[in-house]
Amino acid sequence: MRREHTLPTPADTHALGVELAGLLAAGDLLVLSGPLGAGKTALTQGIGAGLGVRGPVTSPTFVLARVHRDGRLPLVHVDAYRLGGLADVEDLDLDASTAESVTVVEWGHGLVEQLADEHLLVELDRGDDGEARTARLVPHGPSWERRLAG
Amino acid sequence: MSDQPLVLGFETSCDETGIGLVRGSTLLSDALATSVAEHERFGGVVPEIASRAHLEAMVPTVHRALADAGVTLGDVDAVAVTAGPGLTGALLVGVAAAKAYALALDRPLYGVNHLAAHVAVDELEHGRLAEPSIAMLVSGGHSSLLLVPDLSQDVQPLGQTIDDAAGEAFDKVARVLGLPFPGGPYVDRAARDGDPASIAFPRGLTGQRDAPYDFSFSGLKTAVARWVEARERAGEPVPVPDVAAAFQEAVVDVLTAKAVRACRDHGVDHLVIGGGVAANSRLRALASERCAAAGIVLRTPSPRLCTDNGAMVAALGSRLVQAGVAPSDPSLGADSSMPIDVVSRAG
Repeated sequence: MRREHTLPTPADTHALGVELAGLLAAGDLLVLSGPLGAGKTALTQGIGAGLGVRGPVTSPTFVLARVHRDGRLPLVHVDAYRLGGLADVEDLDLDASTAESVTVVEWGHGLVEQLADEHLLVELDRGDDGEARTARLVPHGPSWERRLAG
Repeated sequence: MSDQPLVLGFETSCDETGIGLVRGSTLLSDALATSVAEHERFGGVVPEIASRAHLEAMVPTVHRALADAGVTLGDVDAVAVTAGPGLTGALLVGVAAAKAYALALDRPLYGVNHLAAHVAVDELEHGRLAEPSIAMLVSGGHSSLLLVPDLSQDVQPLGQTIDDAAGEAFDKVARVLGLPFPGGPYVDRAARDGDPASIAFPRGLTGQRDAPYDFSFSGLKTAVARWVEARERAGEPVPVPDVAAAFQEAVVDVLTAKAVRACRDHGVDHLVIGGGVAANSRLRALASERCAAAGIVLRTPSPRLCTDNGAMVAALGSRLVQAGVAPSDPSLGADSSMPIDVVSRAG
């Protein structure tokens, strides 16, 4: 899978999420970074669609996290925007095991990487105007290196 | 009056520990403790702190509510508690406490939906809700339009946000503008000195083919962030009041237009607006203007009762008792994603 992506429309961000979902396995951690409006929730909506979970996948900023089920794997969608700190995803008292789920954390850069041995960092960005976004996939750990190379 | 049920309500779905007492549809007391200041010290919400703060505030807040109402625990006829949606750990504290009181007092327990409670609270001030009504719930976590044929057991979702909640957009724009959290009241205040027509921000999901009752505030939030960044890059000052006013206008324009359309499409002439964003002065003014023009009776709780509180839970509990709805089982649990069409957990 390519590491650099140009995403002209929100539909392309969604499609990248669907494609990423195909690489995911139980216990995976994805950390999404990027400014307000870079497409973090849109990408997660694509991942949810790719996993086939029950939606709607919307911004979890206020509730901190949501669990979506009934797909190939449960999707734990965390938003660290309001979080002061998080030693462990279990602190969110979610009704789900992260070992059996895919955990996607928005605004988690520098805050949650220790939650798993490996993770995939997705750096999203937007230009100064227009709909176009960019995504850069940064693997952290041998399994992610392998999966992106494959 | 005293033959009407006295209901003790527990609300702990997020940062506020709210305990309310309602007799029939009369508000007796509404005690509140908040952990917002503690979270501010940590620069954000810490789930463990929210749960612990609820735990520590619980019994003193119950006692304060009883004292304010001039009643004793023995007078309580039923117990109601928010079972969801909300933060699981926070909800659990309220549910456990309510179950303990219900069991100790040998009174029925009602596990209710937080969102329906935001609608029910209006009955404390404006009397029985006309049914059917259209309800619009707008807060930090929710933006929903509901058709309410019977608040005690039939609430039908018409639409909701597909990305950010309205209150969340206020919070995020406040941060972009350097205003404090929670952003709603600060944006509202800043907007009073601004010109809502000074900047044309986008109105999400308002095209011909868009879902008529769904909302989208993500694009608006991004447009505001971009506009501010462009100003800063150019080295020009950011006119905070104008940005706040133009952003706020975009939100309330869409909210009120869709609420009025829902009323018209469903032949309903009563609209009730609840949730924290319902405290916004411009939303109240524009809703009032548009409802008057469309011949719709508008009801909004006073701002104090729009945000999370225990009285709203007691109000819905009272409504359930009077409607003869079956109470919840003692095994009631917290449901962080309780669906909006489940008014209460029966059996």
